[in-house]
Amino acid sequence: MPTDAPILEIDNLSRRFGGLQAVDDCSFSIQEGMLAALIGPNGAGKTTLVNLVAGALSPNSGHVRFGGLDITGWSPHRIAARGLVRTFQISREWAQLTVLENLLVAAPDQRGEGIWNAIVRPSVGRAQDRELVAQALDSLDAFGLYAMRNEYAATLSGGQKRLLELARAVMARPRLLLLDEPMAGVNPALTDQLAGHIEQLRRGGITFLLVEHNLEFVEKSCDHVVVMALGRTLATGVMGDLRRNPEVIGAYLGGESVASAAG
Amino acid sequence: MSAVVFYIATIVNYFFIYNILAWGLNIQFGYAGILDFTYITFMATGAYIAGVTSLGRQQPGTGVVYILGWHLPFPIPILLGGLAAAALGLVIGLVAINRLRSDYLAIVTLSVGIILYSLVGNFTNLFDGFNGLVGVPEPLNGQVHLGVNTYTVFYIAVAGFFMAILWVVAHRLLRSPLGRTMRAIREDVDVAEAFGKNTFRIRLWAMVIGSFFAGIGGALLIGFIGAFSPDGWSTQETFIIWAILLIGGRGNLWGSVLGSFLVIALLSEATRYLPSIPNNAFLEPALRNIVIGAGLIVVLRFRPRGILPERKATFAEVRAPAPPRESARLEPGHAD
Ligand SMILES: Nc1ncnc2c1ncn2[C@@H]1O[C@H](COP(=O)(O)OP(=O)(O)O)[C@@H](O)[C@H]1O
Ligand SMILES: [Mg+2]
Repeated sequence: MPTDAPILEIDNLSRRFGGLQAVDDCSFSIQEGMLAALIGPNGAGKTTLVNLVAGALSPNSGHVRFGGLDITGWSPHRIAARGLVRTFQISREWAQLTVLENLLVAAPDQRGEGIWNAIVRPSVGRAQDRELVAQALDSLDAFGLYAMRNEYAATLSGGQKRLLELARAVMARPRLLLLDEPMAGVNPALTDQLAGHIEQLRRGGITFLLVEHNLEFVEKSCDHVVVMALGRTLATGVMGDLRRNPEVIGAYLGGESVASAAG
Repeated sequence: MSAVVFYIATIVNYFFIYNILAWGLNIQFGYAGILDFTYITFMATGAYIAGVTSLGRQQPGTGVVYILGWHLPFPIPILLGGLAAAALGLVIGLVAINRLRSDYLAIVTLSVGIILYSLVGNFTNLFDGFNGLVGVPEPLNGQVHLGVNTYTVFYIAVAGFFMAILWVVAHRLLRSPLGRTMRAIREDVDVAEAFGKNTFRIRLWAMVIGSFFAGIGGALLIGFIGAFSPDGWSTQETFIIWAILLIGGRGNLWGSVLGSFLVIALLSEATRYLPSIPNNAFLEPALRNIVIGAGLIVVLRFRPRGILPERKATFAEVRAPAPPRESARLEPGHAD
């Protein structure tokens, strides 16, 4: 359940690409335990914002705080190691690693990643791997990918890659998961499956901020919505109220899509 | 000892040394995806440093000029050669391994290699310039006192000793979580970074370890030949090791062994037996490169990932007893 201190605070964040102000003085915050959505028309700056928060891009101005810590300008791996894990708008599996290996790599704090343990004391890595393999197989089982565990990730279907992205992100034991369009381009059955996984993980204690175009899902499942347009935060609230917000309707939703998605 | 034995022993020595060289590049490129186009420079560093630390002080009047001249006993010069190459790998890696751009790395390594090449060639005080080092002591022959042919056979044990140790290192690295993460970095560095991996540091390790292998290989080479000059490490020599790696299969250590056997023991040797064309000294090395290049094209055409591609990693599955829940997992829990 949401507590008082926000887990993520975005403060007057801005980022330019040449003459284009992709993110423009954007501010909002996310409470711990939330399943929050970031919506807005194409080109609104959502992916850029995700990149700024995750450290893949650095802002021209503004601040990002995660768990009370100012992480502005940190490298992505430092941010991720703190428990802020992101996925990409287009699935980016490690293609020539097996599905199981994709999950194993994602696990944090691996002692076998130290050079000394890797070369001189291989048993250290093997021992931890036994636990990680068991954990990863359970997860693959839950995500319906168990049968594919020893296949190269490149051979998965588009929908399976979406599941792998989520399973892999969970393996990193995140506090906050930043998902960039996790349901883009998947069929309705898989959308429901992904929604079920996300809701279940949220009940397990992971906070979510997801960029999503599926407003039906956003309305049904998300308890906080941030609307972005032209790089700015246009409005925040719950989907039901935002549908009646004239600014939001004008910038993004449009009369027809409000009606159809609400119906 | 017959000439045939000597001849075969020579090839075996080269084969062993090129295994080490190919494994080093395999660690850099096959594991970690680092486009190192100056790999041969690390080999040369190992050769030169092993040379000048095993040679005694330079003799006035011989005209051969070099630094150090420490006259250290086996195996110290070989280890120093490896360490010097690793140190150079660290420096170049610090400059060139930018976590965003791999093509940038290729250009930087290529340029640095060419700069170092002309530096070593023109600063004759370092390693006697383009003439190179000669008369480098044969490792351990101060103790065993063997003739040329017998020593060549004996040297198989020296090269084989280092090869065995480095095999264990390369193999353990490949099978370790560190090697797995290196391969993930090779596949997609941004995603590895997004999963909390310090990709810069890990790629730096691959660079340093691979360079160490190159340095040991170079040190063994100068100990075997007794001489080394810039002719031995022109840019095209880097291409030979790349050919070995790609023909054999990146990410597979046995692939590198097969590759160096095919390239060094077969393709490269075979060109020696072509009828020689008088007044054309450049033809033999040129023919060698053409044959190797053709071999590479044929392999990549039919087996794009090499003759022995990277093997799939498998894991012992120790799981809780429940078998895969085929039906349950298609219906994840929905919110009420
Ligand atoms: N790396 C980049 N270089 C230049 N322009 C970019 C870059 N990334 C995004 N943009 C531009 O910034 C704007 C916001 O893009 P993006 O954040 O991807 O929007 P969204 O994810 O909301 O669709 C777009 O106009 C896009 O073209
Ligand atoms: Mg986007």
